[in-house]
Amino acid sequence: MDLSRRRVLGAMATGAATSACRTSPRPVTSRFVGQLAERGHRLRDGGIPPASAPTPMTASVVIVGGGAAGLSAAWRLRRAGLRDVVLLEMEPAVGGTARGGELPRSRYPMGAHYLPAPHPSFRGLRTLLGDLGVIVGPTDRPEPDYELSYVCRGPVERHRYKGRWDPGLYPTLGESDEEQAQWLRWRDHLRELDGRRGADGRRLFDLPVLGSSTELRQLDRISMATYLDQLGLDSWRLRWTVDYACRDDYGATLAQTSAFAGLHHFLSRGLEDEVDRFILTWPQGNGWLTEQLSERAELGDRLRRDTVAYAIDPDTGVVEAWDAAAGEHLRISAHTVLWSAPRFVLPRVLPRGRDRLPAGALTYSPWLVASVEVDEVPAGIGTDLAWDNVPVGADNLGYVVATHSQSLVDAHVPGTVLTYYEPLLGDDVVAERTRLLSGSLSQWTDHVLTQLDGMHPGIGRTVRAVDIARWGHAMVRPVVGHLFGEGLRQARAEVGRVIPCAADVGGLPLFEEAFAAGVRAAERALAQLGRSEATIL
Amino acid sequence: MDAEDSVSAPAEAPAIEATELHRGRSRMLLVSVLVVATCGLVYELISATMASYLLGDSVTQWSLVIGVYLSAMGLGSWLSKSIERHETERFVQIQLVIALVGGFSATMLFLGFAHLASVRPLLFSILVVVGTAVGLEIPLMMRIMRGYALKDLVARVLAFDYLGSLAASLLFPLLLLPYLGLVRTALAFGLLNAAVAGWSAAHFTPDLRRPGWIKAQVGLVAAMLGAGFVFGTEIEDFGESQLYDFPVIFSQRTPYQRLTITRWQNDIRLFINGNLQFSSTDEHRYHEALVHPVLAASVQARPEVVEGRRVLVLGGGDGLALREILAHDDVGRIDLVDLDPAMTELFSSHPMLVSLNGGAFEDPRVHVHNADAMEWLLQHRRDDGDKFDVAIVDLPDPNNFSLGKLYSNSFYRLLGTQLRDDGVGVVQSTSPYLAPRSFWCIVATLEAADLNPRPYHAHVPSFGDWGFVLIAKTPRHPPLHLVPGPTRRFLSDELMSTLFVFPADQARPDDVEVNRLNDQMLVRYYEQDLAAPLGAAGRGG
Repeated sequence: MDLSRRRVLGAMATGAATSACRTSPRPVTSRFVGQLAERGHRLRDGGIPPASAPTPMTASVVIVGGGAAGLSAAWRLRRAGLRDVVLLEMEPAVGGTARGGELPRSRYPMGAHYLPAPHPSFRGLRTLLGDLGVIVGPTDRPEPDYELSYVCRGPVERHRYKGRWDPGLYPTLGESDEEQAQWLRWRDHLRELDGRRGADGRRLFDLPVLGSSTELRQLDRISMATYLDQLGLDSWRLRWTVDYACRDDYGATLAQTSAFAGLHHFLSRGLEDEVDRFILTWPQGNGWLTEQLSERAELGDRLRRDTVAYAIDPDTGVVEAWDAAAGEHLRISAHTVLWSAPRFVLPRVLPRGRDRLPAGALTYSPWLVASVEVDEVPAGIGTDLAWDNVPVGADNLGYVVATHSQSLVDAHVPGTVLTYYEPLLGDDVVAERTRLLSGSLSQWTDHVLTQLDGMHPGIGRTVRAVDIARWGHAMVRPVVGHLFGEGLRQARAEVGRVIPCAADVGGLPLFEEAFAAGVRAAERALAQLGRSEATIL
Repeated sequence: MDAEDSVSAPAEAPAIEATELHRGRSRMLLVSVLVVATCGLVYELISATMASYLLGDSVTQWSLVIGVYLSAMGLGSWLSKSIERHETERFVQIQLVIALVGGFSATMLFLGFAHLASVRPLLFSILVVVGTAVGLEIPLMMRIMRGYALKDLVARVLAFDYLGSLAASLLFPLLLLPYLGLVRTALAFGLLNAAVAGWSAAHFTPDLRRPGWIKAQVGLVAAMLGAGFVFGTEIEDFGESQLYDFPVIFSQRTPYQRLTITRWQNDIRLFINGNLQFSSTDEHRYHEALVHPVLAASVQARPEVVEGRRVLVLGGGDGLALREILAHDDVGRIDLVDLDPAMTELFSSHPMLVSLNGGAFEDPRVHVHNADAMEWLLQHRRDDGDKFDVAIVDLPDPNNFSLGKLYSNSFYRLLGTQLRDDGVGVVQSTSPYLAPRSFWCIVATLEAADLNPRPYHAHVPSFGDWGFVLIAKTPRHPPLHLVPGPTRRFLSDELMSTLFVFPADQARPDDVEVNRLNDQMLVRYYEQDLAAPLGAAGRGG
């Protein structure tokens, strides 16, 4: 007989059992986590105490910044057998925007939280994944075997539109024929571009992005919005979906994002067709990757946390740094300095006038990332909870579920951690940054809970704790003209012995770019040390 | 909304003399109005919710419930004129009727759904009784309070009546339903009604003809409701247990699932979360069809092995597949991976169930691992454990996304890595008749994982036509001959060759996709298959 009715009865019986032993909602504890903005601001505002008797050190390579790029560089140098490396990290923990945090129920990402399985052409990243055990067996097969614990299990995405959750990210509820035709045209358009190579033999949209063919680079000079206009695509559904992709990947709207960057999102890893297009993710997000990189780099006490590099002489390679935890000053003579901290900070540590990059040449998006521990896993009307849950028409990007791919053994443990993402999208990023950093803990907590309540009415009473990470300069924003303009070219240029190599000089704010930039800089440093090696990239 | 229908002028003109109604008492009376109104609306909401759960088509159910309920209230108000005397006593008794019928409304509907051919007459009877009684109350209340000037009386009573409705409509979705559930919400409000009745009986004792008797009635009703409230969960469980065809002899909620065993004469059945797993009358058909062909295939692939054949069983915590495997003397070791320790413990300790599986868990060749099958295989691969000759995948049907991963091409590829190159396996794969897209999706997925699937099926009366897929690391023909030795009641060499034949109306559809870990099409196919007219309960977990 009717199975669904029985299911409802069963569910109600279970509901009654659990509700009987539930107590009144606990108070919500919230806190700010992650980056200590004031530490970085000391560089800007001159808050570094005067140096007295600095500890002298030497190193072949000093890496400044322990995010994905700096750790990738350290991993690459270790792979080459170079042990004479010092890494300076300003924060108490490495990871940068890929750091992971922890609440009682689960670890969670403070920022970057996934890595799409790389295209076969991205050999270097495949090598890394093989080294980390993410790829099991040979890494050079078109479809290698991934360690399944790290693969995001379906359902990967769902969206909420008109109170209903549906699979995927394109809202179809109430779609008109014309809108559907436009959507199909857009898919066809992407399919036409997919996998194509330019006359120079390169992929049209490659990772890292600067390896892309020159053929369509002029698209960097118009916005994604203009590009869709030119294709005659005005369906709000389609534009919302593409806008969502831009906001999600780049913290930028359709109108702000370069058309090249926008298309790159869809095409750089190959369209989802016959192959398993896996997303690799971990409860702590890409924090898992940076932790593994850090472990394999085997830096030991040559990894200096809580240490701010405040002056670099690009001619002599001398790096002056202050260990804020120990109150100790360091003076490190290096052969090569890898600058894997955000590029906009570099002029503050170089002698005045040495950096030719004009101020404001790169635009950075501020982000708010809040992880919320809840007593109950949220559901909602419509399709089942997915890993990524996105509200249509909201400013925020929805949330990901930390325990989505957990073992069946843990499936009965109640509650989970939801990580909520919201880029601050205003054109005036300075004003947005001020808004982000000046909002109080209770204001941002209320904001996040209100937004979640919009997706799941009443969720507030299941919330136990809220961890809020504020990233003033979360990612470089690929605005119109960014990728192939003069600014990025100058930002990448070496300054004496200093090689800039964070994700922001790679071009796009992606783990892949940070990895490639770090590895490339490490290989360049090896060459300068006379230990040239074939590139793994 | 409800009071509109219940307005009727007091039957007698209010006494204008300045009767000293105790101020506290009049306030309490107004609180009673509030409670009565709240209870009235809550019962209406409960009935409507239950109706849409049990009968579907929520718009129709809500609309009908509201209409019937409001008109019954009208009827009650109209009938109130025929109550000439003893208003207070009647008021208390009507409260008790509401308390009893309203309080047990959800309980009755749950049980009615399990027992009755149609639950509608019961639903509407409850609505008419409660509606009429609630309709009677307000006019009676106004008459009891007739010391007030008419305009004050109407203003106050109606104001509290409407306020009560607001309270109910806010409380119900936000607090009651989520915290108490339907059965207990109804019972709690029944208790409130009984409290009002008790309070009235206590304060108007002089107006009652037989105060002792009335108070005893109040006590009885309150006790019944209280007992119902305390055992509310059991009532809902019991309500569910009535959904089974036969008496429930065992029921256990484990952290992972709900195990229920029913028995009728010699028919013992196991249900997981309400879905039938086996019936002892014909499980031998299922388990022979699951186990014997794949072991025959393994013997065909490695005839030289006379002892020490290694078998992996994923799922199958009831030990019935084990019984069939253990009948083969060449099997040296069986690793059984089942998520739920309660399941394997139950089937290794309960005498009746142990006799079903022949004490399979006692056999020293059997090694039980309570783990997530995927995690266990990953760990086995990391440990570089011995590869298996035979893998028997006997998992619940893919009716949710956590199970769906155990039917994905990635999972099958992982399984393949743990099979010897001449290894074989079998996958229970739902019904090719009732869930055709699901069945062929599993076949397509095994193909994508390079496991050379050979689909077959067998008739298991309590399930219907049931499907299995034989798999092999290297392509091979399905076995034609069973392994001599074990006694069988169902399979024979003659039957073997017919299992692999599918009639035209069960041909493979050409549009089923592979079940990939990252989209899990199979779970959607399974939902669609079951929603289709042919759909029936599978072996869902």
